[in-house]
Amino acid sequence: MIKLEKLHKYYDRQHVLKGIDLTVEKGEVVAVLGPSGSGKSTLLRCINFLEEPTSGIVEIGGKRVDAATAKKKEIFALRTATGMVFQQYNLFKNLTVLQNVSVGLTSVKRMKKDAADKKGIEMLEQVGLSSKLSHYPAQLSGGQQQRVGIARALALDPEVLLFDEPTSSLDPELVDEVLATIRRVADTGKTMFIVTHELSFAREISDRVIFMEDGVIIEQGTAEQIFTKPAVERTRQFLGKAVQG
Amino acid sequence: MENLLDLNFLIESFPAIISRLPVTIGIAVGSLLLSLVIGVAAALIKIYKVPVLRVITSIYISFIRGTPLLVQIYLVFYGIPKIIYFLQSEYGWLQSADVNSIAPEFYALMAFSINLGAYLSETIRSAIESVDRGQFEAAKAIGMTPVQMMLKIVFPQALTVAIPNLGNMFISTIKDTSLVFIIGVIDIMGQAKILGSRGLAFFEVYIAVSIVYWILCIAVERLLVKIEKRARRYERGIA
Ligand SMILES: Nc1ncnc2c1ncn2[C@@H]1O[C@H](COP(=O)(O)OP(=O)(O)OP(=O)(O)O)[C@@H](O)[C@H]1O
Ligand SMILES: [Mg+2]
Repeated sequence: MIKLEKLHKYYDRQHVLKGIDLTVEKGEVVAVLGPSGSGKSTLLRCINFLEEPTSGIVEIGGKRVDAATAKKKEIFALRTATGMVFQQYNLFKNLTVLQNVSVGLTSVKRMKKDAADKKGIEMLEQVGLSSKLSHYPAQLSGGQQQRVGIARALALDPEVLLFDEPTSSLDPELVDEVLATIRRVADTGKTMFIVTHELSFAREISDRVIFMEDGVIIEQGTAEQIFTKPAVERTRQFLGKAVQG
Repeated sequence: MENLLDLNFLIESFPAIISRLPVTIGIAVGSLLLSLVIGVAAALIKIYKVPVLRVITSIYISFIRGTPLLVQIYLVFYGIPKIIYFLQSEYGWLQSADVNSIAPEFYALMAFSINLGAYLSETIRSAIESVDRGQFEAAKAIGMTPVQMMLKIVFPQALTVAIPNLGNMFISTIKDTSLVFIIGVIDIMGQAKILGSRGLAFFEVYIAVSIVYWILCIAVERLLVKIEKRARRYERGIA
């Protein structure tokens, strides 16, 4: 279970997250929607403290971390409990595909190299890339890189996966293979947060949709509710043609 | 008839000069390694804006850049014994060190490491800063400690970026080591000087020693090209 309590984030004087309260059950898939600049990425990045929240509490799997008193150890615990998939993939350029997936296992989880490689290969099989183990990221297409990114995040068995616009940098013809991979991960019962502009995908995959604007969650509900009868006018405007669609 | 060159003397001086090549290479390689440590430390201090140390680092870099290498060599050569002696007599530290038995090669190594470290630090800093932010973020997101992130992800990428610059500085250092004879180190230059005064044929030995430097630098340049190619192999995209 993930719980966010009164999460605030300021960049200098700009108030970007204005007291986010949210509870996500285990296995839930949450889509985060909202206009550009509404704070979606910031919210995601505050969950694993890539951005330190100015105040508030992040709780994952029973471990509560208060931003006001967060220690390094607690932050590492949050980061091992979460996996992140980036818009720009951010694969480690100097490592091969397999090393990208296994490096977290050997260095963070202190696994032996053999065991880490074995698990890494397993993960890469799941995303359909076990034939590219010794390729470097630069030798892969964007879609393949993003699938490695997903395998890298999955390898550490996180409680929750955080996706920040995982398909936004992809050429249109590569979007589907990545969405299909994410769908398969969702089917395994992983708890997931997905920030996305792919409305139909969000509708199809998510158990819950959160609509953010200007640093607050202005509406949330099941995908069905939000996409068929949004309660808030702003949500209806944003979803536009996707409503009822 | 007066000959321009005593060609025989020139040729015969080669073996003796080459026999001192390990000294030249040793000082150059040794100070490269030590200065990498200094340079990385100085770069990290600047990047992470470590209080106090940051000011010291800035003064160090500015001083090294603003004073001649020759003067720095003298400062180390005369300064280190005085400092050791001072520490021994005032605080009883370093009692086992015998100032008189320190080889001049040690001072040369120190002087060149301190000098090169300052120059490398700027190269290393900009190389580290050239590593994509996303690489840092991905490393943090999987829970790596800052040390793991630096050692496994950032330094390898930064080093690749820095190799051409590091290589040029290393080649400059090889040539600069020709100054070490002034503190009594017999490197290839020191050896050439000795041979020259023995045979009163300075032009010949300096031609010989310049050829040795030249070939050495060409060899190092070739090696660097190979190293860079190897380091950059991960950057090659889909053909
Ligand atoms: N590192 C930062 N420093 C200063 N301001 C920032 C920083 N990151 C984000 N912001 C600001 O915070 C606000 C929210 O940004 P955020 O990236 O969370 O929005 P978003 O909803 O993800 O938008 P998009 O859909 O464009 O990705 C924006 O106004 C942005 O300019
Ligand atoms: Mg964003």
